[in-house]
Amino acid sequence: MIILYDGIIYACVLAVLCVGLTLTYKITRVPNFAHVSFAILGMYVALVAIQIFDANPYTALPFAFAASGALSLFLYYGIIRVLQNKKSSYLSVIIATLAFDIFMIGVLNIIADYITNEHQITSRDFTLRSFDYIIYDTPMIFIASIVILIVLVVGLYYLLYKTNFGIRMRAAIEDRELASIHGINTNKIFCISWFLSGGLGGIAGVLMALWFQGDPSLAAYMLPSVFAGSIVGGFTSIYGAIIGGLIIGISEIIGTNILADVFGYWITPYRPLIPFLFIILTLLLSPKGISEIITKVRER
Amino acid sequence: MLGPEIIFLSDLIAIFAVYLIINLSLNLEFGFAGVPNFGKVLSVAAGAFIVGIIPFYMYGMILDIQGDPVHDNIDVISQINSHLTIHPELGFLVFGVTVVIALAAGALLGLVSSYPAIRLRGDYLAITLLAFGEIIRIIGINHTDLVGGTLGVSIPDVLSFVPNEFRFLIISIILLGFAGVVYLLVSRFTNAPVGRLMRAMRDDEVAIQALGRNTRQIKIKILMVGGMIGALGGLLYASYVESVVAFGYTRLNWTFLPFVMVIVGGMANNKGVLVGTLLFVVVRKLIVYYNDSLSWLVPFNIIWLDYLALGGIMIIVLLYRPNGILPEKPKKI
Repeated sequence: MIILYDGIIYACVLAVLCVGLTLTYKITRVPNFAHVSFAILGMYVALVAIQIFDANPYTALPFAFAASGALSLFLYYGIIRVLQNKKSSYLSVIIATLAFDIFMIGVLNIIADYITNEHQITSRDFTLRSFDYIIYDTPMIFIASIVILIVLVVGLYYLLYKTNFGIRMRAAIEDRELASIHGINTNKIFCISWFLSGGLGGIAGVLMALWFQGDPSLAAYMLPSVFAGSIVGGFTSIYGAIIGGLIIGISEIIGTNILADVFGYWITPYRPLIPFLFIILTLLLSPKGISEIITKVRER
Repeated sequence: MLGPEIIFLSDLIAIFAVYLIINLSLNLEFGFAGVPNFGKVLSVAAGAFIVGIIPFYMYGMILDIQGDPVHDNIDVISQINSHLTIHPELGFLVFGVTVVIALAAGALLGLVSSYPAIRLRGDYLAITLLAFGEIIRIIGINHTDLVGGTLGVSIPDVLSFVPNEFRFLIISIILLGFAGVVYLLVSRFTNAPVGRLMRAMRDDEVAIQALGRNTRQIKIKILMVGGMIGALGGLLYASYVESVVAFGYTRLNWTFLPFVMVIVGGMANNKGVLVGTLLFVVVRKLIVYYNDSLSWLVPFNIIWLDYLALGGIMIIVLLYRPNGILPEKPKKI
C-alpha cells in the first residue's frame, strides 16, 4: 500500500512539474533547466510555514505558489527576456537557465543552513509527513495530490479555452508578432505564464515535502524525470505533459518495485536510469511523444 | 618538507592543467564546431574510470598480487606501489597503455554522443547529452565491481619512486606539460583549414553543406577528438588525486564548470579559454582555502558561495559580455 501511495503522489508531483515546464517551453521556447529548483523553494516554504509558524500544512500552498512564481518571473523578466531581446542564441538561453539552476543550488543550501542555524530545525533530508492528517486511514496528501492534479486539468482547460486570457495566450503561442499586431500584450502574457509555471512548481514542492524527504540536492535528481515526462508528453501539449509525468512517476516507483521483485533488489539503485530510458525510447520511436500518438489514433 | 604556499601553488597548477585540457576539448566541440556537448562529464568520467580499472588488470597479470582490487584495495595498492618503487619503468609502461586505452574509450564515447548530436537539435540534444553524462555516474556509483561504487578505489601511484615530499610538485609539472602539449595540438588543429571548416559549419551549416562538405562526418570526428582529450583530462585528474570516486563526476564539476570557463574566457579562442580557466581555478581555490577563516562572517557554509559565484558570473557574462573576456578574432587568410 505504501508503494501505491509513493507511486501516485510522486506521479502527481511530476505531472504538475511537467505541466509547468511544458507551459514555458510552449510559450517562450525555453527549456527551463532550473524548473525543479522552484519545487525545492516550495519545499522550504512548506518547512518554514509548518515548523516555524506552526501553520496548517495546506496553508503553505498559496505561499509556495507566490514565492516560486515570483522567482520564476524574476528568471524570465530579469534574464531570459533580456537575452531574447538581445537576439542571443537559444544555446545562451539554455546555458542561462542551467546557470540559474546552479545559482539556486547555492541559494537553497544557504536557506537550509540558515534555517538550521537560527531555528535548530532539520533542514536537509527533512520530512513533514508527521504533520499531515489522516482521513479514513488514508493520508490526506494522497487525496490532496490527486485533487490538485484534477483541479489543474480542469482549471487549465478552463483558462486556456474558456477565458479571454486563454485565447490571447494561445494566439501569442501561435504567432507572437501577429498577436501583438492585434493589440495583445504578449509580454504580459509571457510573464503571467512564467509566474504560473513557477507557482505550479512551488505547489509540487509542497506536495513532495509532505510525503517524501526534502533536500536541496533533489533538484539535480529530479530534473531528468521532469524532462523525461515532458518529452514523453511531446513537449508541446499540456495534457501530454500530465500523462507523461504520470507515466514516468509511476514507472519510476511502482515499476522499479516490480522489477526488484522479479530480478532482485540490486536493481533499485538504478531507478534514475528509467527516465533516460524513456527519453531515448521516445526520441527513437515517436519523437513528438504522446501527442503524436494521439493525433495518429484520431486520424484513423 | 615543502611550505604550505608551495603545496597550494602546486595543487593550483595541477587543477589548472586538468581543467585546461578539458576546456580545450569543450572549446573544440562547442566553441569551434558549435556542438553543445552538455555531456562533457561522460568522457572525463570514462578516462577516470579506465585508470581505476585497467592498471589493476595489468599489474595483476605482470606481478604476483594477492587480493581483489576493489575489496582489498589498500592492500593491493601497497603491494603494487612497493613494486613500483623498485621498478618505475613498469609503472610508466602501464600508464602508457592506460592512456592509449583511455583515448580509445574517449573516442568511442564521442562516437556514441555523436549519434544524437547529428540528429537532434537544441533542447533535445541538450537533455540527451546531459542524460548520457548522468548515466555513467549512476552506473559508477552502483556497480561496485567497476570502481568501488560509493567508496571509490585508490589507484597505484606511478610516481611511487619519487620521494613523498616532491611527489605533488613533480606531478603538477608533468600535468602542466601534458596541458601544454594539448594546447599546442589544439591550437594547431584550430588554425589549420579544418578549424576554418568547423567555424563555417557552426555559423551556417546549410551553406557548408551546399559547398559539398559532409557536416555529419565533421561533427562525428570533432566529438571523437573532443572525447579523447576529455578522457585524457579525466585520466590525469584521477592519477593526480590517486583515486577514483564515482560520486565526484557530477555534471556541475565536469560539464557546467568547463562551460562557464569557456564562455567567460571567450568561445572559439584558445587564449580566452586559458584566461577563463586560470580565473575560475584561482577563484574556486581561494574560496575553499579561506573557507575556515571566513566562516564566522556568514551564517552558512562558505562552499555555497562557490555556487552563487559560478551561476552569477555566468549569467552576468551572458547578459553583458556574451563573447567573453577575449572574444573570437577573425582570422587572416
